Amino acid sequence: MSQAVAARVHESEREHATELQYEGLVTRGIAFAIDAAIIDLVAIVVAGAVALALSVLSVSKDSLDTILIAVGGALFLAWSVGYFVTFWSTTGQTPGSRLMRITVRGADDGSILRPRRAAVRFVGLVLAAIPLLAGFLPILFDERRRGLHDMLAGTVVVEAPQLSRGSAPSPPRTPRR
Amino acid sequence: MTQSFYNEGQRLLGATMRLGGTVGLAAIRPAAGAVEAAVRLERAARSAATRRLGDAALTALDAALLSPLAEEAVDRAMASGLVRHAVGRAFEGPLIDVIAEDLVRYAVVERVVDQLLADGLVERMVGRALDGPELERVVGTVLDSPAIERLIGQTIESRLADQAVAQLLDSEELWLLVEEIAQSPAVTDAITQQGFGFADEVAGGMRARSRNADAWLERAARRALRRSPR
Repeated sequence: MSQAVAARVHESEREHATELQYEGLVTRGIAFAIDAAIIDLVAIVVAGAVALALSVLSVSKDSLDTILIAVGGALFLAWSVGYFVTFWSTTGQTPGSRLMRITVRGADDGSILRPRRAAVRFVGLVLAAIPLLAGFLPILFDERRRGLHDMLAGTVVVEAPQLSRGSAPSPPRTPRR
Repeated sequence: MTQSFYNEGQRLLGATMRLGGTVGLAAIRPAAGAVEAAVRLERAARSAATRRLGDAALTALDAALLSPLAEEAVDRAMASGLVRHAVGRAFEGPLIDVIAEDLVRYAVVERVVDQLLADGLVERMVGRALDGPELERVVGTVLDSPAIERLIGQTIESRLADQAVAQLLDSEELWLLVEEIAQSPAVTDAITQQGFGFADEVAGGMRARSRNADAWLERAARRALRRSPR
């Protein structure tokens, strides 16, 4: 009996995964803004905590400003890279993506990215932002709504299946080439 | 010489006896034939008389059964204590045991059930019972009775129920089934719909608007560059 039920469940899953929609610039921009807000909020809280600790300790700020800025910048970069690479290579969704119900997948097979590919995508994201965000404009014209960073890393951003809390995301249908 | 005289005499005596037997049989044969004919005639007459008597008895029985007096006689017999007494004696005696043994021996119940099933009578009866208000009334009465309440309570508190539940929980098939159901998109969708509440409602609205904005922005960009719409 359980096998019959399982067959029906999997059939329903297949029906569930038939639609695939590439996500556009606005949706992705909102997701990125949410992620940026989270990153900045955490960074501000940490920086505030460090500043409070330093204010208690009688350390001359002038002598440490340069060092603190350098260390803080390095930590912020590491935190940002770690944030995106970790989420893209584990669930395919950052918290902002989760909220907007979008996910980053490999363009060829629809799989979740490996960490190296996620890191390449992050580098591509920075490169796309440098020329006054011009690297994101291809999203408006590309058939699969890919930006520069997507093209560099070979990824697409698609609508994520609706997930229950705590369940692992199932891979979406293989994107068309 | 004496011996030869004895043998001759014995042979003569045997021949005389055979001759006597033959003559005797020839004399008796007509009498035996007459006796045999008389016996056949007597049997035929008795058979005809019995048949006529039986026919007459059946005719009389039919006339008696068709008579209005027969019903009256039956009513009076049933009203009297005689029938009750007869039935009581029959139940006291070995009659019930004999009937029960015969029912089992000749598979009467099985044959009757088979016939009922073959005729579709059971289906009609069940359909009638389910469609009618009687079943609902009976079920209501049964459920309202304190005896049923006590019985259900005892069943739930019994060790048998605990064992059944324990066996069910130990069943691998059960957990496989639960896992499959829990992973089904219908269930996850339902949980998601129930779980996220207001925040998800806001996010859903935002998603819908953002996708509309995507479409609008792309149309505008493609129009500006004079590209065909997606």
